[in-house]
Amino acid sequence: MNRTLEKLTILSDAAKYDASCSSSGSKRANQNKGLGNSDGMGICHSYTEDGRCVSLLKILFTNHCIYDCAYCVSRRSNDVRRAAFTVEEVVDLTINFYRRNYIEGLFLSSGIFKDADYTMERLVRVAKTLRQQHNFNGYIHLKAIPGASPELLHEAGLYADRLSVNIEIPSEMSLKKVAPEKNYPDIIQPMNYLSDEKERYADEKKHLRKTPLFLPAGQSTQLIVGASPESDLQILHLADDLYKQQRLKRVYYSGYVPIATDNRVPDIKAPPLVRENRVYQADWLLRFYQFSVDEIVDEKHPNLDLEVDPKVSYALRNPEKFPVDINKADYEMILRVPGIGVKSAMKIVKSRLYQRLNLDHLQRMGVVVKRAKFFITCPGIQERHKDYETTHLRQLILAGDTAARLSPQLSLFG
Amino acid sequence: MVSLYLYDGSFDGLLTAIFECFADRRQPQDIVSQDTYQASLLDELRPVTTDINKAERVIAGIDARSDGRGGELVYQLFLSEQPGIELRIYRLVHLLMRRNDPGILDNFADPDVLYCAQIQKMIRREVHRMHAFVRFQKATNDVFYAVISPDFNVIPLIGDHFQRRYADQSWVIFDSARYYGLFYDLNDLSFIDGDSDIFQQASSNPIGRAELEGQEDQYQTLWKQYFSSVTIQERRNIKLHLRHMPRRYWKYLVEKQVVDRKR
Ligand code: SF4
Repeated sequence: MNRTLEKLTILSDAAKYDASCSSSGSKRANQNKGLGNSDGMGICHSYTEDGRCVSLLKILFTNHCIYDCAYCVSRRSNDVRRAAFTVEEVVDLTINFYRRNYIEGLFLSSGIFKDADYTMERLVRVAKTLRQQHNFNGYIHLKAIPGASPELLHEAGLYADRLSVNIEIPSEMSLKKVAPEKNYPDIIQPMNYLSDEKERYADEKKHLRKTPLFLPAGQSTQLIVGASPESDLQILHLADDLYKQQRLKRVYYSGYVPIATDNRVPDIKAPPLVRENRVYQADWLLRFYQFSVDEIVDEKHPNLDLEVDPKVSYALRNPEKFPVDINKADYEMILRVPGIGVKSAMKIVKSRLYQRLNLDHLQRMGVVVKRAKFFITCPGIQERHKDYETTHLRQLILAGDTAARLSPQLSLFG
Repeated sequence: MVSLYLYDGSFDGLLTAIFECFADRRQPQDIVSQDTYQASLLDELRPVTTDINKAERVIAGIDARSDGRGGELVYQLFLSEQPGIELRIYRLVHLLMRRNDPGILDNFADPDVLYCAQIQKMIRREVHRMHAFVRFQKATNDVFYAVISPDFNVIPLIGDHFQRRYADQSWVIFDSARYYGLFYDLNDLSFIDGDSDIFQQASSNPIGRAELEGQEDQYQTLWKQYFSSVTIQERRNIKLHLRHMPRRYWKYLVEKQVVDRKR
């Protein structure tokens, strides 16, 4: 028991830098009166004191590693306490935490001991034991180890809801510098393999009634922001490609936490949290707001504006597209108004069928009027968009945001 | 004189009262539960006898006029226990019957529709929080117990979720404020009150007297340790932490039961 506690301490501490904690998007329903169910929305069962969701038991199988990636606490040359779980220990912790409603499932990653296959084989064994011996239908996210054999990856896909290979460093050139043993092809290859397999199973499902689930929640990856010199333009293009070509479900971004006293990575005081938040906001614009990368950043503005969110930034750079007429404009354009989120945009287009909407209606529907008012027309609006110079408008918005900016919050669009 | 419809406090009772309003062709001044009614000489009372048949006809009527959304919405509103919710529900039913257009529930410019949507959102959030924050403790009789005291009366709304998830373990979720709860015995899900045998059998924790299963403490310790080691100190942000996990929920949470000397 004390030994388990010690292992858990070491191996959860080393796993916490992975930003992914999603447990959504699977279709795995409880079968044969077993344990667990993951066919709904993922649930955050707790929140850490840094405000992040705790949904999965996120641990490393081991923090022993033969590699030496500069940005990583578990790297070979770092002097830290090492530990390794047994398959049974991980299974027991998962089941018992799950039964108490602490978690939605397991996120199992690992340092690489011996070689890729040896490590991958253990991760797969954990998932297999949970599924087959314990009829566990909770969520399982496994790390796919670059270089692992297709057979093992395939098996992993049959038991896991999600697999991820982390790219971490957003360009091959920088990756070479900080992680000499790694390269892009080794990372992209398993992604492509898994994406093709998932497609194959989906095809099969059209013809056969009983095909097994294969990675129902798809793949994700993580990019570290601020450990290498890439611009937001490069980062967002990479993410966009990963969404389109490797069909990833999510790209996570992690503001570099200066953990490693290693001169291959920058020595910064604090993680770039504001930038990380802006990149997440831009990613949302790509996925839910029908923006393209080039509308958010371009060669002239390769980095996101840290002072205002990317939607405001877009509106300020494209004054000719505003103001938007709330009672007439297409849904797509309403969605582009700063201060209007997906939910309020839906409410607007549904409600305006019944009457002309005025400012008061918008307020009550949850539109952030103090933000939106500069960019819309509707009865009750005093502001006349064309009266404002872009720089003046920027000042006004910033003035309204001062309080918020003093304590950077990781919220998305207000 | 003020016309007051007086019902027995049950959901079916309220629906019956609404049925009677329509039958009487009257706009009620108010619909009040017997438990909360304060007698006044000025009131013209119209007591209502609960009638399941009438109640079901009201639900069928609004479901037919709302693509099946109305019945669920009205039940959730009722469970919100908000003061004056009865009249709000009456007005919503009236609106649905009069307009006969399911889309009307999306007309958020209508103050009644908006109010109901907002209450429904609060209810759903509370349901979601219970899904998240319930913490079971295993007792010596192999039953997993949890105690909650939610802001709204959500016990009837959370059973399905837990039954699907914990099909192979027996569990109890008890609302200590409203003094009733759910019991799943590996076959059926049922409502129980605080005097149920299931508490005596285990002489168990929910109402104070705990006899926990041998390993329960260990798993709680492991979970607390996990919780504390996943925080990244460089990113500490207590404001955000509190926004997601308001203090009033901490009493449920094993991981927050640590003596924190800093506060
Ligand atoms: S391979 Fe993974 S665990 Fe090993 S040093 Fe690199 S990032 Fe860390």
